Parts: sequence; structure tokens; C-alpha cells
Amino acid sequence: MITPFLELRSVSRVYGSGDTEVRALDGVSLAVMPGDFVSIVGPSGSGKSTMLGLLGCLDAPSDGTIVVDGEDVSRVADASRTRVRGRSIGFVFQQFHLIPHLDALSNVETALLYRGIRPGERRDRSLAALDRVGLAHRHDHRPVQLSGGEQQRVALARALVTEPKILLADEPTGALDSKNAANVMEILAGLRSSERAVVLVTHDVGIADSAARKISMLDGRIVSDEVLRP
Amino acid sequence: MSTSRDLTRVAFSGLAARKMRTVLLLLGPMIGVAAIVAAVGLTDSAKGDLKAKVAELGTNLIEASAASAFGQSSPTLPIDAVERAATVTTVESVSSIRQLSNVVVTPYTEALEQFDTVPIPVLAADADLPRVLEVGLVSGRWLDDFDESSRARVAVIGQALAAEFSYLPGENRTVELAGFPYAVIGVLEKVPLEPGFDNAVFVPFAAVADDFLDEDPVEPNKLYVRCQTGTEDLTSEALSVAVGLGGPTQISSEVKSEALELAAESDRQLQLIVVSMGLLAIVVGGLGIANVMSISVIQRSAEIGIRRALGHTRRIIALQFLLEAIAVGVVGGILGVLLGMLAIFVGVSAAGWVFVMAGWLAPAGVALAVVISVLAGSYPAVRAARLEPLETLRLG
Repeated sequence: MITPFLELRSVSRVYGSGDTEVRALDGVSLAVMPGDFVSIVGPSGSGKSTMLGLLGCLDAPSDGTIVVDGEDVSRVADASRTRVRGRSIGFVFQQFHLIPHLDALSNVETALLYRGIRPGERRDRSLAALDRVGLAHRHDHRPVQLSGGEQQRVALARALVTEPKILLADEPTGALDSKNAANVMEILAGLRSSERAVVLVTHDVGIADSAARKISMLDGRIVSDEVLRP
Repeated sequence: MSTSRDLTRVAFSGLAARKMRTVLLLLGPMIGVAAIVAAVGLTDSAKGDLKAKVAELGTNLIEASAASAFGQSSPTLPIDAVERAATVTTVESVSSIRQLSNVVVTPYTEALEQFDTVPIPVLAADADLPRVLEVGLVSGRWLDDFDESSRARVAVIGQALAAEFSYLPGENRTVELAGFPYAVIGVLEKVPLEPGFDNAVFVPFAAVADDFLDEDPVEPNKLYVRCQTGTEDLTSEALSVAVGLGGPTQISSEVKSEALELAAESDRQLQLIVVSMGLLAIVVGGLGIANVMSISVIQRSAEIGIRRALGHTRRIIALQFLLEAIAVGVVGGILGVLLGMLAIFVGVSAAGWVFVMAGWLAPAGVALAVVISVLAGSYPAVRAARLEPLETLRLG
């Protein structure tokens, strides 16, 4: 039996209490398997950002169980969630979130800090990751010297350099023109493997349709879960 | 181990990326440490110089003065005080003086109007005074026994007074003491153990009897005694007995070098003030670090969020910010010590002293800067660690 990389069992996330209580996520169950390329789509307020925070171990559920890469992170301390996050998850954000004073290589290397990796190896692996997104020749450029598409590819390299089981992309094409967006989507699709699952969170149905599996959300619940292509 | 190496790299790259801010942060601990190092170093150098001077002058000079006994407004010593003091076996040489008051001194016989308010000490002194004090003459000669026996109106003046009177070496000059003309026959060198002599006029005892006091012979009121080195306290006590014996005279003795050392202690107050100001500068600098780093935490909240998302723990984030503060403390402290040493060097060169700096001063200065920066950095570090990545990353 194949164990899922990500598993949500009846997960709820409630903000506030009493009259101001908001159920951002309401009893959601979901499994993301190795090799999945899933898009989570829905309008703003549908709960997809909350879902992303929980899947990425950035947040803890109010109720239910979350298992990430075989480890139950539902009710563990921040330090444990941080460890699982660093080990199993790579993030790509809409606003890239590169560290502005570091060059592309150092930005990628940041993901490998505090892991007991020697500087030489860290550099080699980071250069390889940059090469994978076609930016090895721009490794000494700082974010301001790169275009939006290039910045997002550096962010992709940073997410990939730790070899995470799960790649979480939050509106990765939201800040890009259509040409760069297509380029980034192409790289994302190419990252699918039996060792990795790619999860894409977006409000853009067109982008969502380019994934292999589409999960549609509304009002904190999953309304459909369809396989678009094998 | 590799974690601390990674932390150090991140902290220094963070500082290097914001050079102007880092320089401003460095100033506080730097100036504070420099002030403290300079204050302590300069007073130590001054003290070291003083000790050297005292060693050179000898510690064996005793001043024995007539103390005020009941009913006596200007107490004096017996007329044979010098002979009495010489009976003490540890005494090597003795000289006596009589300090006068209210003698108006004018540099020229015709210059009374211009100079009549200058308060200048006039002293009767015997022929042995320069030998006992171990000082020489800048020019001319000292008072001798012939001046006494011939009751000559001659005077020797201190070096500073000679300068004030524009007296040239060898010049024939007559000064007026209370209206009596006195011929200047010599200029005395500076007396380090008795700075007041630099501004004094010395005349023979006989002349004092003739012109200023209604007594003859004139009794001395102070003795300068050189004793065998190491017998200062013993000799002081013996002097009180030998000189005061059989009369109403009270003697108060002091070892001159001790008085000089005591005077140096008063410099400690100045040192304390400068050190306090240095401490204040460091504390203000620490507040500056805390303030700037707190703002920096807000500015860098996105960076903190992304680092947390990449798996850096709260502890790592706190340590990263703390280490930036510590780096500021270390570098600021080292620069402060160097700046302080430069200040000591400049001060010592200007004063002609020997450079003295206690061995503990440099490490203590750096340690102080580090302690302050750790205190200043801990609040922003904790704030940085408490930031929730979910809030700073603006998902969706």
C-alpha cells in the first residue's frame, strides 16, 4: 500500500470564538499521493489559504488530524512542525519572497542552512538547483537585478534544493505575465515524480486546469475532487 | 558546530548588507568603550608618571611644621630647631624656613601701582634649602652664610615668578618687598615636591628680622628634613620629640611624597566622572541597538517568515538576531579599545608621560560592549522569534 505524502482527516480550522467565530476550514479530508500534481482552486474566502497553511505545517488545526510525510503534526510543538516543514516541504510564493540583500545563490543556500551541510556541498547543490531552473548563469545576481519570472525560478530552485517530498506553490504565477507564467507552470509540471507531489493553490481556474488533479473549494469545504489527466 | 558557523555567516552578511546602519550601531559601544579605556589609561599613566617622579625625588623628605598651639596665631619653632633635628640619628640633612604673610612684592622699585595686589609668598630661608630639597638654580646663586652675617637685602625668586617678572638670567634687578629694595641674586629651579616655591621669594633670616618682623633672631616655622630612606615614619616621630622638647611647640610632620600621592588620588574623582560618562554612552548605544534592531525586525518580517518556512526554528531566528547584536558589540568594543588606546597615546605624548595601560582594560572593554549588546539585542531577537510565518508571508 502506498502511504500518502499529505493526509488531512476531518480537519477544521476555526478563527475567533463565540459570535465572531469563523470556520475557515470545516471538516476537510484529503490525501495527496506520491506523484500527484494537485491544484486547489477556489475564490477568496473559500479556505484554500488556510488549507495551504495547514498543509505547509505553518499552522495547526483546531480539530482533526494532519499527517505529513508519515508524521502526525496535528498537535505538536512549533519546533517539531518546523522540523517537518524543513525536511518535507518546499514553498513557492506569489510574491517570490526572496531575501533582498542576498544574491540568487545565497537565497537558494538559505534553505540548506542549519542542516550540518558543509559550505562547499551547500554551494554545489544550490548551483545544481539553479541550473535545473535554467538560472545557473545568474547565480550572483540579487533579486532586484532579476525579472519577475527569474525571481520565481530562483524561488523554485530554493524550494527544490532540499529535495522535499511536497512542493507547495501559492499562486506561483499570480505576479507574472503569461509568458513567464507558462514557463513556471512548465517547470512545476516537470517536477512531478514518484518521489514528489506538487500542490498548487490558486484562484485561477485556467491555471488550476493545467494540473493533473483539481480540488475545488467553497466556504471551507471541498466541493469537487476530479482527476483531469492520469 | 556547523550551526554556529552558519549563524555567524548569516549574522555578518546581515550586517554587511546594511553598512550605514551597522556603522551607526557601532558608534555607541565604540565611543563608550573608548571613553572608559582612555579615562582609566590616562589616569593610570599619570599615576605611573607620578610614581616615577616620586621615586626620582626620593620618598625621604619630611616637612615638619610648627602647629598652632593655644593662644598662638602664627606658631614658630625654637630658634635652635635645625640643631635639635640634627640630633636625630636618622636625619641626614635639615633646612629651615619662615613663611611671612602680607609682604607686598613688586617687580621694579617704581612699579608699585601696577603690581600691589599680587599675593606672593615671601620666605626666610637658610643656606641649606636647595641641598635638602635636591634642586638647583636656573641662574645666579642661592643665599649663603655671608648674606646672613652681612644682613644683605638679597633675594632668590622661583622660576615661575621670574617668568612673570620677565626676569632675565643674570639681569641686575631690584624688586621691592614691602617697600624695601632687594637685589635678585638667583632663580630657583622648580621644586616638584613643593610646587608653591615656584612662585615664592626667598630672603635671608637676618633681612627678615630687619625689615618685616619685630623679632631678632627670627624663629623658623618649618623644617625640611632628609632622613635615611625607610625611616620616614620613625624620623617624623623622633622629630616631634627632638624639636618640640621642653617647650609649648607642637610639631606636625608629613612625608612629602605621601602628600603628592594623596593629591593623585583626587584624580580618581575625575576618572570616575569620565568612566561614568563612558558607561552612559555605552548604555545609550545599547538603547540605540535595541531600537534600531526592533525596527529592523519589522522591516525584515518577510525575511523572517521565509526563513521560518524554510525550516529555521524560532531559536535559530532569535540567535541570528542576537548574533548580529553581539557582532556589533565585539567589533564596536575592539574599535573602542583601539580608539581609547589612541587617546591615551595622544594624551601621554602631550604630557610627556609613559604609556601605562592595565592588561585587563582591553578585554574588559570588549566584554562590556558585548554584555550591553547582548542585553540590547535580546528583546528584538525574542520579537523576531515570535513572528508567525503565516502572518508575515501573506498567503493566497
